Amino acid sequence: MRLLPMHWARRGAGDGLDSGFMTWSKVYANLPERYMMRKAYKLKYKPPVAHPAFKQAIETSRIPEFTMDRPWSAAYWEQHEPHAPVQNNYVEPILDEDWMWFKGDRVQILVGPDKGKQGYINYVVQEKNWVCVEGLNCKYEMMGESRNFPGMMIMREKPLVVTTDIQLVDPSDETPAQVEWRFSEDGERVRTSTRTGHILPIPSAAFETQDYKTPVGYRENQRTDTPASLVQEITFEPKLCTFEMDIMESEGIVETRNPPRTYWY
Amino acid sequence: MSWLSGVVYLGVGSRVPCPVVFNRGIATSSALNQYYKKRSDESRGDRLHFRRVVLFNKRVHRHQKKDVFRPFEKPSDDFPSVPVHKYGTRGTGIRHSYGWTSVPEKVPQLIVPDLSECDLKPYVSYRTKEIYQDELSAKDLFNAVYGKKILKDYKEGKLDEHGNSLEPSEEEQLTPEEARTRARRTGSDIFLGGTPRSKKWNIRWEY
Repeated sequence: MRLLPMHWARRGAGDGLDSGFMTWSKVYANLPERYMMRKAYKLKYKPPVAHPAFKQAIETSRIPEFTMDRPWSAAYWEQHEPHAPVQNNYVEPILDEDWMWFKGDRVQILVGPDKGKQGYINYVVQEKNWVCVEGLNCKYEMMGESRNFPGMMIMREKPLVVTTDIQLVDPSDETPAQVEWRFSEDGERVRTSTRTGHILPIPSAAFETQDYKTPVGYRENQRTDTPASLVQEITFEPKLCTFEMDIMESEGIVETRNPPRTYWY
Repeated sequence: MSWLSGVVYLGVGSRVPCPVVFNRGIATSSALNQYYKKRSDESRGDRLHFRRVVLFNKRVHRHQKKDVFRPFEKPSDDFPSVPVHKYGTRGTGIRHSYGWTSVPEKVPQLIVPDLSECDLKPYVSYRTKEIYQDELSAKDLFNAVYGKKILKDYKEGKLDEHGNSLEPSEEEQLTPEEARTRARRTGSDIFLGGTPRSKKWNIRWEY
């Protein structure tokens, strides 16, 4: 299942604004993009009055850097100053449509202490070409240390750069392979291994969100969710009157006056 | 010396008393600066002494905040004519010399439709399938209102030589003039002209 038009529509920020967030970084959050922008971009200047004496434009400060915390989350702003200068992070540019490392993909690690091990992708930061593999390439840190308490050890996955530290695994022989975007016989754009020609399907975990694992499997909240059957029901009956006239009819308001004739000369 | 100016906005041809906006500010010319000059620092020249400025708009000094943001309608002793800044809310009672009386008629009554039969909830389930609906065109409206009857008459042979029905329904009996007046009655949505209000510039009058 690829992202459908309705998913893309939800991702739009509206008003011709570009949020600067890439698709697969924000899929899991399932938040409206205008909210994410409002939280991430801090106000720098706003015209006090709609008068030509003041520059009629809203200026916001750019996000200093992309980290493991999302820029629209509170945890990010605990670590960063609001109007900090932008960090010079040089990232290999990969187009949004050419991104091929999704949550739930099987990969092999090529560097570090866990070299040669295979795991599943857990977390994606597309803006930095980062990916976290579940349980591998971890750092262990102690939290809550005090005089009487030794602290708790927490295991955190360190991010891996997608172009150099990782290789997607070919499902036919379970070995790492070079993967390319190609078109299948049906005309669908798919990832294929160049060595065997085997297609790598996009895992369903890539479309998982905070609210559901699959849209079909979503558990409806009885109090706040309108059931799907009710939403899909069409109750509109076309009538030869406007909305206001329809209400007048249902309330029993009868209008017998006629407006006077007007002419254009 | 601070000045008080009341700006009164009057409607065209109206005689109703309109709300007065109080604007207080400070004169920066040195002749009027006597009040704000610090007595001990006369050698350092004229300096504005902001602690003595008394402003009643939102740009208040922190010491004057309690004069402006008063919880009740009681006027302050120092400045009895200055109204309380209420952020546009309207009180539900009357403040008089003996205290404050609540007036139930001033409490706004919210008229809300009866939603006991409405099954729609604030959110939509994620399970709903994508719904594609084209815009309702004039053609679709015609088909919905007249289509069935025309087909029925055609099959039963009840159409005359011009194609009009021999047993016209209420909508089919409408003449162009009658349809025109009906469309312009109460509840009409025909655009009558004029320019839309500018979103960018706060223009009050357009010449």
